[in-house]
Amino acid sequence: MTSSRLLGALALVVAAVVLQTTLFVSTRPFGAAPDLIVLAVFALLRFMPAEPGIFLGFTGGLLADLLGGSPLGMWALSLTVVAYLVLRMRDRARDSSGLAVLGVFAFTLLAQGQYVLLGTLFGQQPLKDPNVPRIIILTAVFTAILAVAVLPMSSWLSRQSRNRRTRVLA
Amino acid sequence: MLRSRPDRTTVLFITLVVFSFMLTTYDVQTAQVGSIGSALRSSAEFVFSPVQKAASAITRPVVGFVDGVANLASLRDENDQLRSQLALVEQELADSESLQAELEALRSLNNIVGPAEIDTVTARIFAVAPSGFDNVRGIDRGSSDGIGVGMPVVDESGLIGRVDVVFADSARVRLISDPTVRVGVRVLRTNETGWVSGRGTAPLALEMFEPELAVAEGDKVVTEGGRFPAGLIVGTVREGARSEAGFALRTTVDPIVVFSQLDFVKVLIETGQDEFIEAVPEEEGPPVQLQETPPGESP
Repeated sequence: MTSSRLLGALALVVAAVVLQTTLFVSTRPFGAAPDLIVLAVFALLRFMPAEPGIFLGFTGGLLADLLGGSPLGMWALSLTVVAYLVLRMRDRARDSSGLAVLGVFAFTLLAQGQYVLLGTLFGQQPLKDPNVPRIIILTAVFTAILAVAVLPMSSWLSRQSRNRRTRVLA
Repeated sequence: MLRSRPDRTTVLFITLVVFSFMLTTYDVQTAQVGSIGSALRSSAEFVFSPVQKAASAITRPVVGFVDGVANLASLRDENDQLRSQLALVEQELADSESLQAELEALRSLNNIVGPAEIDTVTARIFAVAPSGFDNVRGIDRGSSDGIGVGMPVVDESGLIGRVDVVFADSARVRLISDPTVRVGVRVLRTNETGWVSGRGTAPLALEMFEPELAVAEGDKVVTEGGRFPAGLIVGTVREGARSEAGFALRTTVDPIVVFSQLDFVKVLIETGQDEFIEAVPEEEGPPVQLQETPPGESP
């Protein structure tokens, strides 16, 4: 993978973090919003080499920590775990959109669940909110719905880029 | 016997997980004293806050339009409800005018500065935390506008939170719905004190120790003083409750502010505690604090 493509992937994750922190200022249906960062990490990692992919997850998480209100490292840890698992399981979902959408749902649940767990461990007391299970599930549902539109697009872009490279090499 | 070694990806993964965990531990432990964490946050804010402000300015009209269309039916109902509420409020306003005059007279007698007399800075919310569990908002005014850490943030309804972190041109507000925030309060009808603490998206928890009177549904709860100026509306009691002898009274309070619909807010330019409670003029003696420090906020 070329450095320009890596920079492009990084720019997309940064854009996801910026949109995540600005798009849902006044719109959170039923108290939840889709997790654009998990979606971006998932969409990009399906086609990225493993090591830059893990770094991408970590960087996206760290940026979310820096722009959020939680202790540094909580999102970084959650998204590193998500990135690692996506890399381990991506071959099974590469050709099936249904499985990929299911994967987005499961990984969003995982990322949010880990975040709540870490928050509890580090004294942020997120479990004082009795609506936590509902928020986690709704966030995963919204992200999966968005994934139905985003994932085919990312697959198509990746195919186009691969074809261009093949043509150049030929 | 050969033992399989973890591949490079797994080693990198474990390294990053351990690093993240250590980073969180370090940040939690040094949160109060200023650290590498705050320096990193300031740098990130410096780079990203202009981008966030631009993104917010671009997406706000689109999101507003979509939101408006999606909520058309409920807006009509809300409009009808507001009309009937307006009639009631007009009646209450007429009743409260005489009380207001009485209050002003008492304030001037005691040299107390009310919230209305404090300088304010109006700011717009341009960012939220990435997670629904972080009860913070980014505002587009910072230390260059006189905003400092700990200053109360309100809107026309009542208390929203306090300034948590300040940068040159932006600041972060921690909402009173955050589970780590506690506010000393007074129930207006009974005049008894306690505190409310945040529970995220759920109503605030009200706790009062050995109160003599019960609280009733709809009772107004206001700030008691201390870190927040006294008299700011926090919310209304959701469910009536009374305490058994020797036990605390626990119930819930609906915040007066709908946190998901905030747009413009006001930062009260005061630093809390004694500065807010101005006392006797100098020639009459040293400043006197009018109230005991209430159960304020936990860190």
